Amino acid sequence: MARYGMALDYKNCINCKACEVACKEENGVLLGADKHRIWVGSNDPEGIWPNLSLASAAFMPSQCQHCDDAPCQEVCPTHATYYDENGVVRVNSDKCILCSYCMNACPYDARYVDDRTMTVDKCTFCSDTRLARGETTTACQNTCPTKVRTFGDLDDPNSEISTLLRDREHFSLKSHLGTNPKLFYLT
Amino acid sequence: MSIIEKGKEFVSTIPFNKVSVKDLLSFEKSPRNILIAVLTLAFLAMFVIGVGIYLVHGHHAYGVTRQHPWGLLIAVYIFFVVSSTGLCIVGSLGDVFGFKDYMMISKRAIFGSIVTIMAGFAVIAFEIGHPVTMLIYNILSPGLTSAIWWMGTLYGLYLTFMVIEFVFLLKNDMKMARYFGLTGLLVGLAAHSNLGGVFGFLNARTISNGVFYPTYFILTAFITGIYISFIMMGFRYKLKFPENARVMLVNLAKIQALLISILIFFETWKMLTAVYGGMPNRAEVAEHILTTMPFWIEVAFAMVIPLFIILKSAGKNVLGMFWGSLLGMVGIFFMRYDLVHDTQLKPLQMMKITEYQLPPEWVHYFPSATEIMISLGGLGICLLLYYVGTKVFTLDADEH
Repeated sequence: MARYGMALDYKNCINCKACEVACKEENGVLLGADKHRIWVGSNDPEGIWPNLSLASAAFMPSQCQHCDDAPCQEVCPTHATYYDENGVVRVNSDKCILCSYCMNACPYDARYVDDRTMTVDKCTFCSDTRLARGETTTACQNTCPTKVRTFGDLDDPNSEISTLLRDREHFSLKSHLGTNPKLFYLT
Repeated sequence: MSIIEKGKEFVSTIPFNKVSVKDLLSFEKSPRNILIAVLTLAFLAMFVIGVGIYLVHGHHAYGVTRQHPWGLLIAVYIFFVVSSTGLCIVGSLGDVFGFKDYMMISKRAIFGSIVTIMAGFAVIAFEIGHPVTMLIYNILSPGLTSAIWWMGTLYGLYLTFMVIEFVFLLKNDMKMARYFGLTGLLVGLAAHSNLGGVFGFLNARTISNGVFYPTYFILTAFITGIYISFIMMGFRYKLKFPENARVMLVNLAKIQALLISILIFFETWKMLTAVYGGMPNRAEVAEHILTTMPFWIEVAFAMVIPLFIILKSAGKNVLGMFWGSLLGMVGIFFMRYDLVHDTQLKPLQMMKITEYQLPPEWVHYFPSATEIMISLGGLGICLLLYYVGTKVFTLDADEH
């Protein structure tokens, strides 16, 4: 029993997209631009050359925020979306009816349709793959060349992520919606 | 007498006309009737083709995407269930609330409510990815915090009550019809406001989030019910309305004028509060909606033109309102389409995620041919069931 979360030192991201590839490879996510569990967002630099704002051209790696109060879980009519014993938001494909309500309710656009099962799929923190094999890292974290991601147990005060969150200022995406995400962006 | 025997006797005494295929084909061969018959058959053929394509290609046959997961079929489902709730309200005026003027339409409206919701279910069955799984897990692991669960479950109950009420109306047992009618009406209103809640609960979609839709759905249902009442009575009497029908329709037109006025008032304030203050994600979506053609079609066809027709004649232009109601239903369709599309207009992820991508602006959607065929097929099912109903059952109250 753990309460998994992830801290992202997002300013270190170089947009190499190795995390996206590793996620697809590890978890067998289908090819296709719309079929992704994680992504790196980027903004074009603002301003007119040579007065370009480099600060505006940030890279923002993102994925399911594994909210403690997940709207996708609340709106699911058949409890297909649930919290597993580690607080990870998961989808039981046997129960999913593909009403797509969760896709509309998720504030982070973190869900998509898996064409093999015709059910909604999303990031699982590699629960079915790496964690099931006893490993302690996710694929995206393991492959990141600039060590953007730190994954771990938020309930363990000695874990690397807990230490990071104590030492570094951080924020969550769309925190005003009260979803209590377990993805933290370090500043 | 055992319960089974009593049940058998109850069912065997439901009055209905024995109808053969020949009877169904023996309608007056006027150009209007032939046109409607051909259109109905064409719509049914489209339904079969559309469903065939869907069964082969799944949701790939639709225009829906990750950013716009709800498309035309959701809008059409809402269109039909709103029609059903509206007809239930109109039908209840006579047989539940006892307004004598409206008795003559009760049976027809309640039958219409059954037909429209069945058409809605026929359409939604091909939008929900796994409808059989839904039936199973709706019961085995109900998601009580989900507005879709409540909406679907209550609509199932509502259909049951409507059928029972209709049976008692056929048997002319007005007391029992009133009990089941009242229960069905309450369950239907609860189901319908939950359908509004499906959108109202979307915290991430600020344009739809809030109390507006759950209440507005009830109001627009009543408006839709009155439009369909005009259309049904117009066809029933071939636009030559007898005095009792005219009295009822003039009254309904007056109620309609009030309801449309309230709707315009609601809609105006919704847009004003959405735009005012420039709140991110809400104001820009509202401003964008004001520049879209479907919104103005909705305003003109569902609100302004019918209201003008009613006000110009103080509600007495029943013939004009028949045509106004046909136009009104087109407007109501756009109202449902706008509701679904506008909710999803704003991308939830505003950064570029692939190379050479333009920054996200608005989510685009246009229904695919398959979606359009299944949607028109829903209308075909509705028309066919209603036509069969007019042959099998006596829907006029005054013939008892």
